[in-house]
Amino acid sequence: MTTQVLVITGGGGVGKTTLSAALGVGAARRNLRTCVITVDPAKRLADALGVESLGNQPTEVVRQPGLWAAMLDVSAAWEAMVHRHADPDVAQRLLADPFFRALADRFPAAQAYAAGEQMAEHIESHRWDLVVVDTPPAGGGIDFYTAPGRMREVIGGRLLKWLTGASIPGRRALYKVTARPALRLADAVLGGPLLEEVADFLMDLRSLYDGISHRAKAIDLHLQQANSIVVTTAYPTPMREARRFFEELPLDAGRAQTIVFNKQLPPSWSDKAALRGADVAATTRTALRDNLSNWAGEVRRQHDVKQAFAARHSLQLINVPWANEPPTSVESLAKLLTSAPALEAHLPVAT
Amino acid sequence: MLDRKLVFVSGKGGVGKSAVTASLALLASRRGLRVLAVGMVEGLGLAGHFGVDRLGYSPSQVRSGTEALTVYRDEALDEYLRLQLHVPRATPTKILTRALDVLAETAPGIREIVTIGKPVYELWQSRYDLVLVDAPPLGQLFSYLRAPNTIADLVPAGPIQRQANHMRESLADSELTSLVLVTTPEELPVLETRATLDRIAVEPVITLDAVVVNRLLNALPIDAEILGDLPEGPHRAAAEHHLTTYRQQQRWLQAVESELHLPYLFGLHTAGEVAEQMADVWDELI
Repeated sequence: MTTQVLVITGGGGVGKTTLSAALGVGAARRNLRTCVITVDPAKRLADALGVESLGNQPTEVVRQPGLWAAMLDVSAAWEAMVHRHADPDVAQRLLADPFFRALADRFPAAQAYAAGEQMAEHIESHRWDLVVVDTPPAGGGIDFYTAPGRMREVIGGRLLKWLTGASIPGRRALYKVTARPALRLADAVLGGPLLEEVADFLMDLRSLYDGISHRAKAIDLHLQQANSIVVTTAYPTPMREARRFFEELPLDAGRAQTIVFNKQLPPSWSDKAALRGADVAATTRTALRDNLSNWAGEVRRQHDVKQAFAARHSLQLINVPWANEPPTSVESLAKLLTSAPALEAHLPVAT
Repeated sequence: MLDRKLVFVSGKGGVGKSAVTASLALLASRRGLRVLAVGMVEGLGLAGHFGVDRLGYSPSQVRSGTEALTVYRDEALDEYLRLQLHVPRATPTKILTRALDVLAETAPGIREIVTIGKPVYELWQSRYDLVLVDAPPLGQLFSYLRAPNTIADLVPAGPIQRQANHMRESLADSELTSLVLVTTPEELPVLETRATLDRIAVEPVITLDAVVVNRLLNALPIDAEILGDLPEGPHRAAAEHHLTTYRQQQRWLQAVESELHLPYLFGLHTAGEVAEQMADVWDELI
């Protein structure tokens, strides 16, 4: 069986990591050799899986045979990426460079790209029937998809071309004659040898271009072939993030066709059922009615926004019910998945 | 909260910081202040709460007494060069902009200082009584608030450094500037809020004004004991849901020191309605 890929994406705080783990448990129970890659070090989740600590290398989940989990360590992935694509001496120089560290720390596309390389490694290891990817939440998840292209742009794009002219494969880039005086002028105005230093660094970065360009294409291809699912809740901020996904990402980029609304209240609350057979005081009766009316209003509001969202973008809409307590065991993760059969149906079938 | 000149509102993503920013702006303008609301990295949330589709880089009037804008980086960079660094007209700014563009992608702090520079610049201009900022979420907040320090360390002299130092002083001036943190009474937002409070104690780049707890459920006048006797059905389920959530909320409420509580607003449909109703609540609170 070839390795199938399920990408669980969306903004922060919507429960992606929990759903990814639940899907992982469900897949392992279908006898699929499964690896869940998460970016979120949620301790409770590691506890639920019975895993002490997660790292870049997959750890076996003892409580669920067939399931492995790895946590993306961004700085380690970033270093691995440099060693993969750069000559040893350039790699050493880059990793010691403060600008390079800054790039890794604060350029979200760089982290998302490193996560993508990790994903590709796991897929290409052919150890798994299914790889479940819990994407980094940057940009509402969209960064993970645009990162390979953005990396190519930054390292091979207009800024470096402006500095160096066209690149000649296998040769260290040189300043263009016009660039250096411009940098000096800028530095004189701004008050330091800043831009010249940055330019030197960018030259080194440029030598990563061929490797990254090649790898970025492979990551794009994996994403196009993956089954992607966007997770949100029915609140404005995560929905705004989810909307970006369908409005900004081109269809052929492996765009999701499914939206999962997590933590949803039961739709049955919207009917104003009679309160029969309850022997309670009149004040309690009123309080029960008022409270149901409040929550029923909330259910109606959520129903409206969800339907409108799914219709506007022609998506499959899946509801995952609210759980009073977050899952604290492999068993409760499995139960969570059973509560949303339409989501469970996205798991591949073992051959 | 409204007696400072520049107030940053932040919190974990999704806790309602745009709604809080917009509602405070509405309250301040109801009380006769000239207010500017600034969406710092993404203005869509703020725009929605003022009932408009988008906000431009130039201030536009969204209510009587309230103007609003979003910081767009390209325009902010241009303004930073011309108005803040006073780059002489004779300098070919195209080259400078381009060079700074390179820098912004790589050097720490440049992008951030250009972005946070906009609300601080508006403070210096004194065109408004209050500048309220819908700041980046907690995860990114410090890279913006610390940007002046980062830049001052990076650039040894010159106009950028002078400007960065001036900005740092304005942000740290407790008479002028303060930070309002918004959280919901849930585990992750509360833990992130507490981590932020710890960090401010160590790195006092700004003065904390208040922690606001949003979406707090009211106590239900129903005895939990009787629920078990009720027949199965939506009344019982909704009451159980409310009581369970209420209990969890109270637990996390204890973990933050805050007297500013905003209620869960049931059944409101538009962001504009949320902001107006929240402003009514504020009017009673402060």
